[in-house]
Amino acid sequence: MKKTASKNAVRREDAFRDAAKVFSSSYVNMVQAKGHDFLEQGYTGSLVSDSEGNRLLDCYTSGAVFNLGRKNTAIIERFKRAIYETDQGNFVMPSQEKALLARRIAEFMPGNLDCVLFGVTRGESMDAACKLARGFTARPELITVDGGRYGESGFALSLTERPGKEQFGKLIQAVKVIPFGDVEAARSTIGNRTAAVVMEPVQAENHCRTADAGYYARVKALCESTGAKLVFDETQSGFGRTGTRFFFEQTGVQPDILIVGEAITSGMFPMTAMVFTPELKHFFDIHPLIHLCTFGGHDLGCLVAMTALDEYDRLEPWKNAARIGDRMVGELSALAEKNGSKIVSIAGKGLLLSIKLAAEDLARRFCAAARAGGLLVNIGETDRTTILIRPSLLISDEDATEIFNAITRTLEAV
Amino acid sequence: MAERVSVTMDKQERDYVQHLFGKHVSWGQVRYLRCAHLDVYERARKGCTFSDAVSGERFYDCFSSAGCFNVGRGNSVIMDTLRDALDGYDMGSYGILSEAKVNFARKLVSLCPGDLNKVVLCATGADACAGAIKLAKGATGRNDVITMNKAYHGHEGFSLSANGKDYYKELFLPLMPGFHVVDFNDLEAVRRLAGPNIAAVVLEPVQGEGGIHVATKEYITGLRKICDEHGIMLIFDEVQTGFGRTGTLWAMEHYGVIPDIMFTAKSISGGLYPNGAVVYREVEPLVGYVEANPQFHTSHSGGTDLGCIVSSAVLDYLVENRVWENAAAVGKRFKEGLNEIWEANRDCVKEVRGLGLMIGIEYKYEFLGALMADCLARQGVWAAYSGNAPQVMRFQIPITASLDEVDDLLRRIRAAVKAMRWYLIPLLPLARVPLIRMILDNIHVQIIAFNLVRDVEEFVLGFLPKKQGVRS
Repeated sequence: MKKTASKNAVRREDAFRDAAKVFSSSYVNMVQAKGHDFLEQGYTGSLVSDSEGNRLLDCYTSGAVFNLGRKNTAIIERFKRAIYETDQGNFVMPSQEKALLARRIAEFMPGNLDCVLFGVTRGESMDAACKLARGFTARPELITVDGGRYGESGFALSLTERPGKEQFGKLIQAVKVIPFGDVEAARSTIGNRTAAVVMEPVQAENHCRTADAGYYARVKALCESTGAKLVFDETQSGFGRTGTRFFFEQTGVQPDILIVGEAITSGMFPMTAMVFTPELKHFFDIHPLIHLCTFGGHDLGCLVAMTALDEYDRLEPWKNAARIGDRMVGELSALAEKNGSKIVSIAGKGLLLSIKLAAEDLARRFCAAARAGGLLVNIGETDRTTILIRPSLLISDEDATEIFNAITRTLEAV
Repeated sequence: MAERVSVTMDKQERDYVQHLFGKHVSWGQVRYLRCAHLDVYERARKGCTFSDAVSGERFYDCFSSAGCFNVGRGNSVIMDTLRDALDGYDMGSYGILSEAKVNFARKLVSLCPGDLNKVVLCATGADACAGAIKLAKGATGRNDVITMNKAYHGHEGFSLSANGKDYYKELFLPLMPGFHVVDFNDLEAVRRLAGPNIAAVVLEPVQGEGGIHVATKEYITGLRKICDEHGIMLIFDEVQTGFGRTGTLWAMEHYGVIPDIMFTAKSISGGLYPNGAVVYREVEPLVGYVEANPQFHTSHSGGTDLGCIVSSAVLDYLVENRVWENAAAVGKRFKEGLNEIWEANRDCVKEVRGLGLMIGIEYKYEFLGALMADCLARQGVWAAYSGNAPQVMRFQIPITASLDEVDDLLRRIRAAVKAMRWYLIPLLPLARVPLIRMILDNIHVQIIAFNLVRDVEEFVLGFLPKKQGVRS
């Protein structure tokens, strides 16, 4: 037993040395500083294992991707069969796989978000959304809110607030940033040159920041009166994460375009999508193949996603997320009250929760100590004083208790 | 039920699939592909062919999803690898290391020439293109980028800004300032622009969507020299040309030139699981920049555990079978055959060009793209014309094709050209009138006209007795 453990430790050290060489040593150092100095090896349900066989409760889920837990059995079974039925397909061609998934997505979505363009990365889907809005409205201006994060591709990065962005020179032009939640700023900025207003209704990486309930409705009304299109990015808040299928249902405001993330396959296949209203599809009807993605609408991925959507409908994980999320918010809020010097606040909905700590260094130490205590978490990318709690939506009450206990222990340790 | 995919489809079911696709994705796409007889529903993918779910006919796949199937379609080694990997893996957690990720990255750089020793894992070609341009901009601290006329690097914001065809850009302006488009193979044009404001020169060594234009050796060596003189990063897009397509593992090997940054995707996926990568030289200022900014380009969908396991298997397969040598040998025979077709049809074929199994025929008229695609489809050859040059028909069959298969393919192409010549009897004289040629070249006119022909054809065929058996 001891021999195996030391052998695995050597393997890990070798892999980290190779990673420093082939990726970068600063990347490896950064990973290690967060306590993520292990090789991910094996995972199931709400757990992930490291190369030494230690089991961690997965409260990272690769950024709210593994909503149905790690390695959902039904999806894997279908995936295995699908490998021998189809492949990527020639991407320009309509296929039965793409058509059936498109219909399935239309059935799954609330409201009249009936149309879809498939992507692979979140950023690419956001870029497609900006292009669709510009193309459809024949207007240049893109308005977004501060603190947003949409991906690393050209349009998405131009809308994103992140350090180092200036290194990439002049990005997409005609982009304006307004304060999130500021109705007056929205009113004075959204106009007849505006193609789209883009936001995450929940800024997950920014301490799960949301706006007042009325804000979304006011922005939607401004979009309708000016002809601009409203784009919501629900990469992290979608597919049940916040206690409803999509967070926008809680706002009472349906966007014209919705970005959904890799949770569409529950992390079994790299797929994202831009979902939009039939009105907007007219643009793709008269401009076929104007936006292409070789791996987008991958026929094999379509079959995987269809099974994942069936699983979402069968399991309705949003109900569990709402129930356990409410409980966890209550418990974490009480913990925050008792630890005012360390915890600044608790935010979030359902199982997309954020703990804001007193300092960035404290968040980093918390992340590392949590891992030592059997909990895998990550730091918010935008607000780096935050720790995000986003486990599988299917966690049990016992898992929730264990997560809370681990957080309590970690807090004591840092 | 929702996940069921029919092994075969009758016309009614096909019409329903088209209805769904049109309703939820794009009617325009359905009509556009139907006009060139490219509306085939793929089944039974094997080697360099697939069958049509409706007719049962077998087609040579001369598009290969723009060069994704270098290990052949339905490759059991890659399929079994993915199936087995599903017992232990999923996408994995972004930002957390795994042996799958590290092993793949090491394997990839071990196959790259020179000091191309460093990797950024990505998800798609466009994602990798964005990563490559960001790396060049960040490392040099410069903004401007030189890119090529007719170039194609993807549709996200960076790659779209670098695209060499206005059609893809003009509806989405304003994009990123500072992208200078020059003619491919025009070294003087690059020399005129080269200076302290230029971060990178980006090009495909063989332009794919641009119409299979092969860079000359003088051009590539000249670019290397200019870039060295001005501290400019030379970036090769090997998304289509990589992994053996041109007869060497990388197209750069034909030129003996190593770029500062190279990006790749498509065939790295084995046609089964998306993946991509940026590979860059272990030199300054690149290494220093990445060390200072390890997260300059993050890709949650890229470098997944399953993707890396599949990609590693693809690399092993390519190396074990030296697939690029097959591409060179089979490509030589194929090109010779296409040259014979060119010789016999000089009134309508302008040129044959390419490297390995990345070959294009350029016609003298743009409208021949859709017409020839239709004629080829009727001979069991599924080929798509170039997105940025409709007058060029691309032939990019999986590079595992045998000489016998290529001989059979050439026979079918010859028959298709023969059939096309009947259409040319009235069309060629008409095409000499500029206004008529403009109308014929218009894609919207083609969509209406060819769809009408298909409608009439299907109506008439509906009265004829059904064909027995399946043409092989």
